[in-house]
Amino acid sequence: MEEERLKQLLNKLPERMSEPVRPGFTEDIKAQIPQQLRLHKMGMDTINIIIDLRISRLAAAAAIIVTIILCAHFFGLRESTGGEIIQAIEYFLAGEQAGRSGMLADMKVVCEEMVKEGKEVVYYGASADLANRFEVLMYWKLPDGKYRVIFSDLSIATVSSDMLILLQSHMLQERKQK
Amino acid sequence: MEKKANFTEQGFELAHLINVQQNPDRNQEYQRQKRDSLAARLRSGDRTAATELVDLYYEQIYLYMRRLGHNHQESEDLTQESFLNAWRHIGQLQDGKALNGWLYRIAGNVSRYHWRRQKGRKTVSIEEFDVADSNADDTNKAVYNEQLERLENAIAKLPMKLRQTVVLHYLQNLALTEAAQAAGVRQGTFKSRLSRALKVLRKNID
Repeated sequence: MEEERLKQLLNKLPERMSEPVRPGFTEDIKAQIPQQLRLHKMGMDTINIIIDLRISRLAAAAAIIVTIILCAHFFGLRESTGGEIIQAIEYFLAGEQAGRSGMLADMKVVCEEMVKEGKEVVYYGASADLANRFEVLMYWKLPDGKYRVIFSDLSIATVSSDMLILLQSHMLQERKQK
Repeated sequence: MEKKANFTEQGFELAHLINVQQNPDRNQEYQRQKRDSLAARLRSGDRTAATELVDLYYEQIYLYMRRLGHNHQESEDLTQESFLNAWRHIGQLQDGKALNGWLYRIAGNVSRYHWRRQKGRKTVSIEEFDVADSNADDTNKAVYNEQLERLENAIAKLPMKLRQTVVLHYLQNLALTEAAQAAGVRQGTFKSRLSRALKVLRKNID
């Protein structure tokens, strides 16, 4: 078939490959318009940077890995071995731990701010075992003598000093066993 | 603020009617200005602009999905998903000129993710369109319809990227620039895909 004829047919095809849309369909879509349209903040996180730059999946994966390595180096894993960094990447790629690396980094910043404010804060983040959900990432003393504890599953609890000692000894036992 | 935006839009429409009566060539410029205005209102979070966007595009996006090979139900679901994604990524819309490309790109991504999820489970849909009767006379009608049917089948068998290229440019009638933007490639790449697609179609129809 000649190219001109093909183009002629192609131009006729929209008419053939058309059909009426179900009545009420437009209303269904309109019902889903959010009450407040919010602007997507460009470049606020790694994923959005990748979306905005429109780079390929392979380049995106490479960018994520490089970001993790840089974050790991910057936020306290300077002395860690390559194996640990690779483990952190594996956690990230496994999806289960996705976002936690970023949370740890944020937590460290918060911790530093609290120290500057004169609060008694202890931060284990860099050495914490993320696989153990009872692992304490960070705690600080409250005015009533109790402690506010953030665990590795990012849950938060207020505990007494006795309970904190128990938790810490549990952490030590777990580490020794490993 | 919304009322003010509506008022401005109505004033704009009235000015257009007067202009078109005086000079029909201004219509293209009017369309551009209207798209710019819609894009700006969307970016400012105007909900009525979102409603207008649905009215303008729901049918196009639904047919785009159908032409990419999805069945009725899937196409409806994917059209809704496309608009939901559009609301979520409204900040990526730059100006009115990019409106077509932006929305079609979102829809294309939604379709692609759907195919990826369905990979290995389903092939391209062969659900037929509810075609309206043609007015052509009986002698030519059969030959003509047969050619169109062969072409339709050949498009359905094209690899995804080539199919999307043909659908965007010929079936959705997007200009090359817009179609390339919708496909997320440079114009040169789009042209080369288009030429490859036409070559495959010619080969498969003969």
